[in-house]
Amino acid sequence: MKLSNNNSDDNISDLIKTDLNKGFRLLVEKYSQKLYWHIRRLVILHEDADDALQNTFINVWKSIGNFRSESSLYTWLYTIATNEALTLINKRKRNASVSIDELESYFASSREGSTWFDGDEALFKLHNAILTLPEKQRIVFNLKYFDEMTYDEMSKILKTSEGALKASYHHAVKKIERILTDD
Amino acid sequence: MNKLSEIPEKIPFKVPDNYFEEVNRKIISATSGFDEQVRKVSFYNKFRTSLLIAASVAGIILISYTAIKLLIPDNKKSQVSEVLSEINPDSFINDIDISSLEEESSAFIPAEAGPDVSKKDIIDYLLFENIELNDIYEQL
Repeated sequence: MKLSNNNSDDNISDLIKTDLNKGFRLLVEKYSQKLYWHIRRLVILHEDADDALQNTFINVWKSIGNFRSESSLYTWLYTIATNEALTLINKRKRNASVSIDELESYFASSREGSTWFDGDEALFKLHNAILTLPEKQRIVFNLKYFDEMTYDEMSKILKTSEGALKASYHHAVKKIERILTDD
Repeated sequence: MNKLSEIPEKIPFKVPDNYFEEVNRKIISATSGFDEQVRKVSFYNKFRTSLLIAASVAGIILISYTAIKLLIPDNKKSQVSEVLSEINPDSFINDIDISSLEEESSAFIPAEAGPDVSKKDIIDYLLFENIELNDIYEQL
């Protein structure tokens, strides 16, 4: 996950201090895909992920002056992206225009139409199972399973103890495996 | 299949063609525009009070200059500049010929609408002032 070339987080942080525009451009190029997939797994719909991603970077730009280089750029970005995704999910819940059930049916129809879903049967079952997880478990599972994030990094992003995160991930894995077995 | 480890770790979602190039461009351009906008707004907010004071002072100076140009005759302007050079407001006021100032200014000050009086009223008033009737008719 960590890169050690001239595109490393340390180099980007240093560049931001001397040449903000260039540093920010490097930051966007390095992290836009990673953050997009992180957000997309949470919000499912591409349009929502697109909105949340752009808002994430706009917020990063606005508060980049407050970023302290002693903290990790990587966890700072994931914190903002996760908050953006959760804000969007909560907005959807309040508006009740797109429920989780609707997301599941969207997911199924998208996969059938092959417009947005590009995976086999096993992946389809896995992502349907992930959708059944409670919100917090879903975030923990995604960050650990797909982004291979450490519990230490996760605890900084989610402001939760490592023990609680481990328990949450354990429950999520058990539930997903149970669903996969039942199918 | 019942083990997560048996499922390949592959991103199953699709995105539109060239999405990431487009979104990166959009983000960069949006933040650049935002930066310019913020700087413009910040500049205005920061100096708003100073700008308003400067505009007010400029307005007062302009009005004063225009009033002096219009109200003071040419032959008196030299006196004004002399006075200004002496920076003595009292002597400036004393040197101005008030009567000539009134004559000049009368051309720019609209006459006040007087009471609605008829010719008969005027004649009566003049007779009251012991003015000869012939003189009155000559004036009319």
